[in-house]
Amino acid sequence: MTSKFWYLTGLSLKKKIKTKWFVIANILLVVLIIGLINIDSIIQFFGGDFDQKTEIVILDETNYTDIDQTVNHYIDEYNQLLTTEYETSIKTFSGSQEELEKELIDNDKIGVILTNDEDNYLQAKVVSNEKIDSMVYQLLVQALSSTKTEVAMSLTDIDLEELEKINAPITIDRIILDDASQNEDENMSLIMGTVFPTVILPFFMLVLFLVQMIGTEINGEKSTRSMEIIISNVSPKVHFFSKVLASNVFVITQGILLIIYALIGLALRHVFIVDSGVTGTITSGISDIWTTLSETGFVDQLVYIIPITLILMVLSFVAYSLVAGILASMTVNMEDFQQIQTPIIMISLVGYYLAIMAGMFEGSIFIRILSYIPFLSCLLSPALLVIGQIGIVDCLISIAVLIVFLYFTIKYGLKIYKVGILNYSTDKMWRRLFKAAKSKNI
Amino acid sequence: MLKVENITKYYGDHLAVDHLSFEVKNGEIFGLLGANGAGKTTTFRMIMGLLEPTEGKITLDGKKIGYDITDKIGFVTEERSLMTKMTVVDQILYYGILKGMQEKEILKALDEWLARFKITEYKNRKIKELSKGNQQKIQFISAVINHPCLLILDEPFTGLDPINVEMFKQAILDLQKEGCSIIFSSHQMEHIEMFCEKLMILVKGKPVIEGYLKEIKKDYQKKNIFIQGNVTKKELEKIEGVISVEKTANEYIVKIGSEADIDRVFKAVSQNKITKFVVEEPSLNEIFIAKVGEAYDE
Repeated sequence: MTSKFWYLTGLSLKKKIKTKWFVIANILLVVLIIGLINIDSIIQFFGGDFDQKTEIVILDETNYTDIDQTVNHYIDEYNQLLTTEYETSIKTFSGSQEELEKELIDNDKIGVILTNDEDNYLQAKVVSNEKIDSMVYQLLVQALSSTKTEVAMSLTDIDLEELEKINAPITIDRIILDDASQNEDENMSLIMGTVFPTVILPFFMLVLFLVQMIGTEINGEKSTRSMEIIISNVSPKVHFFSKVLASNVFVITQGILLIIYALIGLALRHVFIVDSGVTGTITSGISDIWTTLSETGFVDQLVYIIPITLILMVLSFVAYSLVAGILASMTVNMEDFQQIQTPIIMISLVGYYLAIMAGMFEGSIFIRILSYIPFLSCLLSPALLVIGQIGIVDCLISIAVLIVFLYFTIKYGLKIYKVGILNYSTDKMWRRLFKAAKSKNI
Repeated sequence: MLKVENITKYYGDHLAVDHLSFEVKNGEIFGLLGANGAGKTTTFRMIMGLLEPTEGKITLDGKKIGYDITDKIGFVTEERSLMTKMTVVDQILYYGILKGMQEKEILKALDEWLARFKITEYKNRKIKELSKGNQQKIQFISAVINHPCLLILDEPFTGLDPINVEMFKQAILDLQKEGCSIIFSSHQMEHIEMFCEKLMILVKGKPVIEGYLKEIKKDYQKKNIFIQGNVTKKELEKIEGVISVEKTANEYIVKIGSEADIDRVFKAVSQNKITKFVVEEPSLNEIFIAKVGEAYDE
């Protein structure tokens, strides 16, 4: 019977991996992941109208000297932080405001009129024929603000060092009296708003793959009436666990493949950056987030956050596969199978959104309790742990609840499975399920 | 030898099989008949070990049915139980390995059966690409690939043309000669008559008729007399003991209540000029309809 178990597990995996669907999905995933990570390089590679610089025309009506050159200097400085897509050129305009406005009609030039301001040192008007690209506008605003600061510095005799001190954020020494919350940081909520969805989206996707795989397999064998032949040669228990194991091995393999694709994408990105000498916004974004995470002590917390998350995810995969398998045993056709998928996906979706919005419910006992519930815990508990709303103890409770849930699902679910796989009744599917749960005669 | 001893099966409060007993010796073909819902599928499932009887026991060669025993049983289900997306060879390997066979052994047996059924070229084709008849052949091969000592055939001739029925018939008889016990179920009574010496008709989970086909027919009092000649339907209907008269293209079929009525009918018609007077046992179909109908009326 053991060899039959391994044979069934291997066959299920082989059937899944050998399908065109799996190959196509993975080709798409490789292209998508590597593509997204290297999107700027790809845009550059295919070329386009990148050389057309945005022309900025400055009309200086101030009595400050070389103000246009200062603006030009800051635009150049900020330009280096961006990709070449937003490159600009600066020209000084000698004429009246009306003449400048006439020159801007029916073209992409941007006019900047600088005037003196008694209260605020410098005033600027930005004139254009149409709306300006938001990145270029931001660049212009930054450059003009910095120009204003420099003007203010020269007029008030404040040196750069002094100015940096004035502009530096206040140093806050956070003291948290609750030991369990020692490592919390208020900045984490904001950071996790960007980091966590990236981590949980693949998990959510893998749950969909898992439910699809185990459900299709069992439904397929049942609807083709092969089940009677199979179950006459292996016990329903062996059959069920072979499907559970195969589907879990499949999603874990798929998860590892996703990580490999992402690593390949990052490696390629590194090669492109080294070759081109360009530092892109994504790289700087990632390094910014990483620096912030390191400073807040989050990186040190990964030592326990990663194992807890992995344990919760693997146990949740098992829970999802058990429930999907049990429900699939009650199906007799594809319509039934679609019916059973919906509640599972909905639960997973609720967990997904709760995890994304976890930072919004600070201190909520209800959310804390939800984080203990199987299916939600795998998404919600790590999110709450990362932003410091729950501690390790809460995560351990979630794991314990999940293990108890698995025990009872196996104990009672197997009973339903044994009855379900040979049940071709025309009763409504959910009625069949409850009848099977009550059934004493197997 | 398969021994079914006093088995009963309840689904909740519903009695599906009621104290059923029969034996199928090695090399014997046993007919298990019944209308829809009579308990045949439940009985097959209990023999296959898929369901546990509420009462009674089933043994094959003295051993209780378990997963070590079901490896020796072949089952052709009424509805096709093939995974149509698989190729023929993968499907047979799948079922063969589940029956505890080695891959080499399965492939050898598969080649022999494919050659016998003249479908060798379909070995690597997907099942869904095959015709219904060829799918039925694959279904049959999947059931016999393990050289079973018990073979359950539930409507095995579905989708087959007369030539293929003949091919199957020969294969079944060869398996019988090899000592395989066979349980045969069909709604086509001529198929049962073709194979089964012994049979049982189930109604509501209970046997209403069981025994050897010859004896069943003999015990069934009613006979059919086929008459050709210068007689009229009215004259025949007037004879004492005649139950009904049916006129076909060139003869009358006279149904009588018992053997004793034969002489009476003969005397009555012999006064006229007759060219044919043949007494025949009733067909199994007639017995089935009469007995199952009676039981349902009760």
